[in-house]
Amino acid sequence: SVQAHKEEDNPQKTMEANGLTPVPDSYDYDLIVIGGGSGGLAAAKEAAKYEKKVMVLDFVTPTPQGSSWGLGGTCVNVGCIPKKLMHQAALLGQALQDSRKFGWQFTEEVKHNWMTMTEAVQNYIGSLNWGYRVALRDTKVTYENAYGEFVGPHTIKATNKKGIEKLYTAERFIIATGERPRYLGIPGDKEYCISSDDLFSLPYCPGKTLVVGASYVALECAGFLAGLGLDVTVMVRSILLRGFDQDMANKIGEYMKEHGVNFIREFVPVKVEQVEEGTPGILKVTAKSTTGDQMIEGEYNTVLLAIGRDPCTRKIGLDKVGVNINEKTGKIPVNDEEQTNVPHIYAVGDILQGKLELTPVAIQAGRLLVRRLYAGETTKCDYVNVPTTVFTPLEYGACGYSEETAVEKFGEENIEVYHSHFWPLEWTVPSRDNNKCYAKIICNIQDNERVIGFHVLGPNAGEVTQGFAAAIKCGLTKEQLDSTIGIHPVCAEV
Amino acid sequence: MGWEEMQVRGYAEFVRTAQSYHGRPIFALFCGDKDAEGRSWCPDCVTAEPVVRKELHNLPDESVFIYCLVGDRAYWKDPNNEFRRNLKLTGVPTLLKYGTPQKLVEEECFKAELVRMLFTED
Repeated sequence: SVQAHKEEDNPQKTMEANGLTPVPDSYDYDLIVIGGGSGGLAAAKEAAKYEKKVMVLDFVTPTPQGSSWGLGGTCVNVGCIPKKLMHQAALLGQALQDSRKFGWQFTEEVKHNWMTMTEAVQNYIGSLNWGYRVALRDTKVTYENAYGEFVGPHTIKATNKKGIEKLYTAERFIIATGERPRYLGIPGDKEYCISSDDLFSLPYCPGKTLVVGASYVALECAGFLAGLGLDVTVMVRSILLRGFDQDMANKIGEYMKEHGVNFIREFVPVKVEQVEEGTPGILKVTAKSTTGDQMIEGEYNTVLLAIGRDPCTRKIGLDKVGVNINEKTGKIPVNDEEQTNVPHIYAVGDILQGKLELTPVAIQAGRLLVRRLYAGETTKCDYVNVPTTVFTPLEYGACGYSEETAVEKFGEENIEVYHSHFWPLEWTVPSRDNNKCYAKIICNIQDNERVIGFHVLGPNAGEVTQGFAAAIKCGLTKEQLDSTIGIHPVCAEV
Repeated sequence: MGWEEMQVRGYAEFVRTAQSYHGRPIFALFCGDKDAEGRSWCPDCVTAEPVVRKELHNLPDESVFIYCLVGDRAYWKDPNNEFRRNLKLTGVPTLLKYGTPQKLVEEECFKAELVRMLFTED
């Protein structure tokens, strides 16, 4: 239950808040976690198992458009979960088309209702938000819907949405504040554009949409919006999916282009104006070429910005407690035990410098950290060979090195790439593309042809990749792979 | 105005009652039917009811508490009964805030803390 302390009762807090270092006294909590997302909640629930007194502070600053959400963080509310559900909605649309070739007969024209989908998705998310609150209450973790910031080495100020401030102390802290979408910094961006923070709860169909960006967020959103039947254009400054294997990134882009997504390459928006109000209204976007002086204009119902995400580390009082952050990126450098430069302050999740921004990584890091702190364990989080999947219309699963990074690290002559196109059996009857699905593995010749990179482009890429990630963790070699008999007929047998 | 309680039996009566209070916060407790001695066939419901009743004073003003008997054991076990199909109930007792995804199922209803959280927090 919530503890409220008056400052008069606690001279230690008053001293801390005034910049003086008090004699350590008993703290309100063993652990305060700032941020109730994937990493934060995993850490808090784990600490409760060891009967530690834990508090979680979670607060969502509304978007410029006014969107907000409940406990659970980005993944649950405005990331992985709604994304995958909407991706599924789009895949089902494709399946309906395919089904006619398999003999299903229906005469009605098939249309998509954005509100039906969005309400169902939001309802599911609501049940997850509630589930987390029940789980925390049940395990006696104190949860406050309040914005946490450091005011002293062991003291946090928590401000709720009514502006009421409370102070809490703890022996240790875990910062797990995550990130929020970046804006362009051009006229009209905050007034008229939306981000992924708004898209999944948008109370009207976005209509003709311009997606600005070439990140996986941009391509996944563009992909499912197009799959639902909307007119979608993606404006890309330079390359697609920076940081990912570029060979695969280009194949993804090609597929999307052939399936109705328009691409405007090498342009950046400079101005967004409103032509007509409405839900959606009409926006005019002016863009400039990155390679010359050419300017173009276009009109869209919705402009979705997906140009990157910035860590929420600038306004949580880190300067007051001396936690170093990368001034340029806002990310927090930590050692291999997720410890910041201040020994009793730790960090997990997307805000970490040099680590993958993925939910399962944050969860694993959070759990292992807590076990090291309170259960005497020593296992550290293994950030190597973490599998990922991009849920573009043609899904892309990967584990390990991209071809470029492998060449850079081992030298072109020391790696061998084996690859293959494949045609999923399910695509044959409906005459879908026979040369788009693709798989490749990258092997280290000097180490027994150890598989150091796995890439697959095709349906259910995530499901396919998961098992291979385990094999790679065990040191899979090309020979072992060759001697593994395939399951037939599935895509994974390739 | 504080809160008020309505007692109903069966799906049709539940829906009619809930609709008549549209616009006010509605909380509902679903339990198995009671016999002539007032004892439910559902042992968990017997445990949960006093816990829930003890927290009713925490209900927000203007809210309605609907105490709903779902039917006999055979009706409840039918996987196609209206409560399962339309309200997506998976077990009794279920305590829920109508029109939201917030609910407590079975043993969760035994915990006063959770019941209080359902009644008092957003």
